[in-house]
Amino acid sequence: MRERPDGADLLAIAREVLRKELLPLLPEDKAYGALMIANAMGIAERQLRNGTEPQEAERQALSTLLQRDGELMALNRELAARIRQGVLDDSAEARGLLWEATVQRVRESAPKALAGGAGGSRTRGEGR
Amino acid sequence: MQDAQRTALERFLAERSGARAVRIDDARLLSGGAIQENWLLKATVTGGAHDGVLECVLRADAPSGVSVSHSRAREFALLQEALRVGVTVPEPLWLGDTAVFGRDFFVMRKARGTAAAHRLMKEPGLGGDRERLTERIGEEMARLHTLRPPSERLSFLPPPVRSPALKGVEEFRAFLDGHHTPFPALEWGIRWLELHAPRTREWVLAHRDFRTGNYMVDEAGLTAVLDWEFAAWSDPLEDLGWFCARCWRFGQFDKEAGGIGSREALFRGYERVSGLRLEREAVFYWEVYAHVRWAVIALQQGERHVSGQEPSLELALTAHIVPELELELLRMTGVGNA
Repeated sequence: MRERPDGADLLAIAREVLRKELLPLLPEDKAYGALMIANAMGIAERQLRNGTEPQEAERQALSTLLQRDGELMALNRELAARIRQGVLDDSAEARGLLWEATVQRVRESAPKALAGGAGGSRTRGEGR
Repeated sequence: MQDAQRTALERFLAERSGARAVRIDDARLLSGGAIQENWLLKATVTGGAHDGVLECVLRADAPSGVSVSHSRAREFALLQEALRVGVTVPEPLWLGDTAVFGRDFFVMRKARGTAAAHRLMKEPGLGGDRERLTERIGEEMARLHTLRPPSERLSFLPPPVRSPALKGVEEFRAFLDGHHTPFPALEWGIRWLELHAPRTREWVLAHRDFRTGNYMVDEAGLTAVLDWEFAAWSDPLEDLGWFCARCWRFGQFDKEAGGIGSREALFRGYERVSGLRLEREAVFYWEVYAHVRWAVIALQQGERHVSGQEPSLELALTAHIVPELELELLRMTGVGNA
């Protein structure tokens, strides 16, 4: 039994202290470093909260698309190879999987990039 | 800077500027630049053409210098050529060598103002009228693009390839093949680049890193285009796409030209000098290309941390930019929430 608060909670509250109490006191040339730390803590916190579920969901979707079993890395390698060969150019299923998997990674690494169009589909320019 | 370096440098500056004496009053290492070191020098020059106070920047290979970018001598030649065709650059003054400074270096005149993108975003007065600044950048780009291969002075550049776009595709794939982790969404973007590759009809000297953050402005306007180390013969639209790419708008997404102005203004400036009409669709291709290229560079930078070679929070976080670049690639190439 781990103590509560857990790691993700600790990161969240520590980040708040950093941003609200320490950042305003830092000289201008050190602010960037503090913002980077806050950013890194945020990514780590979101990964901890998500656990391994998204990875497993991605693996299963890949497994279905590629019709074979395997590790996440190996399946992604195969997907990449098939995309390069051009055999998935017109596959709606492949597009759906790419979109979902990428949105999931953005949620952890850069959730602000989803603001306004969270998980939706917005296309610009000439799509195919 | 060590005393011996400083003394040698003072001698070098005096000799090159035809001065009786040069005293370096202040030498400050500027931040940024994992590949190069930039020193801001303030010197008192006695006699010669530069008599008085000379403010210049010494650009040297970083001690750990490992890079695919141009050597200092080449960068110096690029600056000279850009200046010759009327591009606003920091005036290249003198090329030095290891005997003087311990590493290869050159000295250029210091440009006024700042290049910091976050300041441009926060301070609307910086750079003067923003639409005019954007137009000016288009003009600068068009002037640069008057440099065409072959060029005696730029003979160190690899000769132009038939399709710069497809050459990129090849290089991006080669990188991914050697990388420990696959990136299917990035592969998707590269596949799109392959299928839609344009035909390049004329090759120009492209800067290849012309974006907000890499040019300097003061209150009145543009003062210098910086960071020439990636310049190469390429398709002229590569520079326009890189400048307009959404990933280089620093959050000001409605200002399609570098987060500072309208695309129309950039195109207008470019067309005025080049006489070339720019097609939005044609530039769009190179905006997609820009996202792929930046993603690959971001992976390479992240890898410097991941491999243990250069532990750095900044490099580590750069790797985490990749997912949002991939998402934008998917959006741009018509992949939605299928």
